[in-house]
Amino acid sequence: MYIDKDLCQSCLDCLPVCPMGAIMLKDKEVIIDYEMCVECGVCRRFRICPEDAIKQVEEIPYPRIIRAVFSDPLVTHESTGIGGRGTEEMKTNDVTNNFTLGKIGFSVELGRPGVGAYLSDLDKVARKVTSMGVIFAEENPVIPLIADRKTGALRPEILKEKVLSAIVEFLVPEEDALDFIDELKKFMNEELETVATMSVISRADQNGDSEFLKKLKDHGETPYPNGKVNIGMAIV
Amino acid sequence: MTHTLNRRGLSEDRTHDEIVILCMAQQKQKTQKQEALKEITRTILKYKPDNIMSAPLGANEEAIIAMSVGAGIITAVFNNNEDVRNVVAEIKSKKLGVSMVLSGLFEDVRGICAANNMQEHTYHISLGIFGRTDKLPDDKTMEITTQCGHALISPHLVNDIVKKIKKGKMTGAEGARLLIKPCVCGVGNPKRIETILDEMAKSE
Ligand code: SF4
Ligand code: SF4
Repeated sequence: MYIDKDLCQSCLDCLPVCPMGAIMLKDKEVIIDYEMCVECGVCRRFRICPEDAIKQVEEIPYPRIIRAVFSDPLVTHESTGIGGRGTEEMKTNDVTNNFTLGKIGFSVELGRPGVGAYLSDLDKVARKVTSMGVIFAEENPVIPLIADRKTGALRPEILKEKVLSAIVEFLVPEEDALDFIDELKKFMNEELETVATMSVISRADQNGDSEFLKKLKDHGETPYPNGKVNIGMAIV
Repeated sequence: MTHTLNRRGLSEDRTHDEIVILCMAQQKQKTQKQEALKEITRTILKYKPDNIMSAPLGANEEAIIAMSVGAGIITAVFNNNEDVRNVVAEIKSKKLGVSMVLSGLFEDVRGICAANNMQEHTYHISLGIFGRTDKLPDDKTMEITTQCGHALISPHLVNDIVKKIKKGKMTGAEGARLLIKPCVCGVGNPKRIETILDEMAKSE
């Protein structure tokens, strides 16, 4: 994204709308910092500029296009090898049964909320969880970015790209899940240059309770009181 | 809405808080579930949600239905548990075979399921935020920015709006309408945002 200097009247209205704070006044000119911008498209969608001075280049080149694919929910691009935006995770689990009793799904989302993430951090997480022997969710858009499945290393040319968020999703046997949480928390707190949310997916038991939620609390975790629940509506 | 589960500011002592509804046709069934999606979206619209997918882009009811059918998904926010209970009951009675996820307090979801003789199938639980938490905005700002799962609500805009409310240049309701605009999934809750903005304007 860039600002057309000839059209811009420096009204400053667009500055606060950027979630990354990339629109700024520099030497009396309003500019978009090329490095800070994650190409999320919010500034244009807001239609806040009275002069229509916020412009997008005709085609964002690779690897920068990765920024848009991971930051703008309305963009997909074939040059990245990424078909969709994310997985259905537990949203359709009453149809797919991808998450069964005895297995725990994990999502680690980098950069959210409000901080953004360089893919070098995603590379660290992908390597770490690969070394821990997890089963990746194959439909996740991060998967095509992994160049080496043995180590989890990402394509080297994308590591300096910055995105609003990127999610790594994988499955872990339930008996290993609590240790896994401890190890991953320590790793994230020590190694990441950004923030990450961690969440877990657990199949409900026969009464509709989650045994794993109880185990988490007994383990000393403080899960949020709110979350997502698939209520089995597809089972008719 | 992958990460509506990371919404902040919901509390166990305040049940009957907001609920986000998501209905999604499984990818392989998308084509055959078009009529079902239409029916579901019409049902949700009948109960007048506080926000719904693509409404922030200015879509009218017809366009919302068309978009939900095209995407195989519909998302909406309610601030009234009773309405959600009724939406669930109606959709259940139609036996459409489309998945539904409720995002809100687990206790509220339990009540809605019980009232409809249903049971939780799968849970998605947030363990919190890790890593460089020193880079996060303050808690109140995050109660607003985490309402967009794609992180498109700018914390700078929240601050800007709070300043305008304090100066009497904007109302909380106007600020909320502006803040839900970038969230195309329509899961930003204008009522809750208005309350938070007013609290922020008073306390700062
Ligand atoms: S595209 Fe997004 S990150 Fe870039 S300037 Fe616009 S709002 Fe900011
Ligand atoms: S809103 Fe438009 S005219 Fe105003 S500062 Fe931004 S780009 Fe310039």
